[in-house]
Amino acid sequence: MNRTLSSPSPEAFGTDPWKTRIDRTFARALVLPLVLAIGLLVLLLGDTLYRSVSVQVVRADEGPGRTYPFGLAATEVLRQELLARGYTEEEARSLLQDPTERRVLFLQNRVELMWNTQEGPFRYVVTGLRDERVADFSLLEGLRRWEELKAGLGEGERLVLNPWLDQSFLTRTPSRSPLTAGIGVAIWGTIWVLSLALLIAIPVGIGTAILLEEYLREGTLNRILEVNLRNLAGVPSIVYGLLGLAIFVREMGLGPTILSAALTLGLLGIPVIVVTARESLRAVPESLRQAAFALGATRRQVVFRVVVPAALPGMVTGVILSAARLIGEAAPLLLVGAAAYVPFYPTGPLSEYTVIPVQIYLWVSMNIPEFARVAAAGILVMLLVLSGLYFLALYLRNRFRREW
Amino acid sequence: MSLEMLKEHETVRTAPVSEAEALVDVRGLSLWYGKKQALYDISVRFPRNQVTAITGPSGCGKSTLLRSLNRMNDLVPGVRVEGEVLYEGVNIYDPRVDPVAVRRHIGMVFQKPNPFPKTIFENVAFGLRLMGVKGSELEDRVVEALKRAALWEEVKDRFKKESGLRLSGGQQQRLCIARAIAVEPPLLLMDEPTSALDPIATQAIEDLILELKERYTVVIVTHNMQQAARVSDRTLFMHLGVLVEEGPTEVIFTKPKHPYTEAYITGRFG
Repeated sequence: MNRTLSSPSPEAFGTDPWKTRIDRTFARALVLPLVLAIGLLVLLLGDTLYRSVSVQVVRADEGPGRTYPFGLAATEVLRQELLARGYTEEEARSLLQDPTERRVLFLQNRVELMWNTQEGPFRYVVTGLRDERVADFSLLEGLRRWEELKAGLGEGERLVLNPWLDQSFLTRTPSRSPLTAGIGVAIWGTIWVLSLALLIAIPVGIGTAILLEEYLREGTLNRILEVNLRNLAGVPSIVYGLLGLAIFVREMGLGPTILSAALTLGLLGIPVIVVTARESLRAVPESLRQAAFALGATRRQVVFRVVVPAALPGMVTGVILSAARLIGEAAPLLLVGAAAYVPFYPTGPLSEYTVIPVQIYLWVSMNIPEFARVAAAGILVMLLVLSGLYFLALYLRNRFRREW
Repeated sequence: MSLEMLKEHETVRTAPVSEAEALVDVRGLSLWYGKKQALYDISVRFPRNQVTAITGPSGCGKSTLLRSLNRMNDLVPGVRVEGEVLYEGVNIYDPRVDPVAVRRHIGMVFQKPNPFPKTIFENVAFGLRLMGVKGSELEDRVVEALKRAALWEEVKDRFKKESGLRLSGGQQQRLCIARAIAVEPPLLLMDEPTSALDPIATQAIEDLILELKERYTVVIVTHNMQQAARVSDRTLFMHLGVLVEEGPTEVIFTKPKHPYTEAYITGRFG
């Protein structure tokens, strides 16, 4: 057929307005789920942030409920508080100087920075273990009724705009009272469990990946393992928890310790590390192996001098992503004995422990309403740690990106 | 002419290489990938300090023959070899021979430049390090290899810092040549070394090959007939895994004796 244009005008190519319009609408419709997902995430994060701040009226168990100016050292704040509680200069000094007394004093009294107080913004307060909450308002309501609450303050009461996520929250031990509950022990528990788990999972996972990808590339064993590894990576984590309970806690008699948690999480992390490490090994072009072989390298030299260095950025990214997954695991650790209340920092692999997600879970299930605020602060800590890890992975991926 | 007839066919030889001149002597080499036979009873000698080109249409077994010379085919699963390849009189397929050691004596340059994702220095130093060369000797020999590969002038102020992957395609290929000759292999195998390069880079590599033959014996696979004519002293013409004709390049290109060779050279098939 002769395909010449009938007239020399742009429309002569022909148009199809309907199809163009459908196309465009379709493309727009595809954006919708993305917008929805991002919107929901922003909503969740916003809600958590909102819940992690509240306006409170607190009655101090001891002392006048004073506040102290920003910039003082914690010891100085406590000294002034002691004086305000009626101790003499002498008594306060001896309490703060004797190591044992000082330690007890700091355990029972937290120096916290409040965003606002009845005496002005950004001041320290001293929270005692037995301080009592009189009222707790959400941010907007609290700010609206600020003046009214301030006028109604009774003896020994203080009005504060409390950011639950603050420096002392990160170092405090758990507590029955939401005012003094902290996430410090759970953070250290997470650090212990995660480092030990990675110490187990990295060598096993990377070693397996190298074996399968570089030594047993062809063969039945490889195919069987391939399928099984992918299945293992998809097994619900609670199943690993049951395994850990049966083998590490009971059979091996390790009990509910950091070590059994680390072994359980290590097992959980291995398949993910194997799969990502294999993928980055596979991404190393065959031509590099050939080049190394042609120079007279043995297989070991090819693997460890060429292939592994070239695949390392991908492997590291995989390890970080699996670490991010392990940090968020609560289910298997509930089974292998992350304890509900651990008032002491872990001291070694055989300590009792708790981890951040388990701690959050326990706070959420408490029946004192302010624990919701503590949980919100805990979730923010968790999100910060996770996004830190993701950014690290992103950075490494971009920093070492290679063009073959 | 069918494969059956080709298999019966005796290789046409013009001015054959004597045993004394030959660095490599291939005797009755057949090779199978699994059940598929890729080389049929090939016998040929590669003379010292000369460039021998292997040509032929795609799939004729040029690369397979080349890779049999340094046992790179051993890396392919399911490969089987019959016959002998004598290198300096030693059969490299003897069971007592370690293929890794063979490859240290024989350099190889590939079709696509494949520098390691390391610095230029580390690329060239790779083979030397495998041999245990260290310190100032390592550095001297790296510089020497870069000079001989005609890359030194272009990289001398950055070769210790810059990655080999940052070079242009032609420079990368010269880097690969430098990497291969750094260990002073008497024999250098090149598998279509210019097929991924532009004409200017190709020119540079061809000039380099002509210089290299002063010190090394070169075997080059190419399906570019002009290239074979420009750089080689002798030419092998292969078809369907059979060595059809071999002889001095000017004879192959001006007075081919076999009708297949003539057809290929004049561009009537391929």
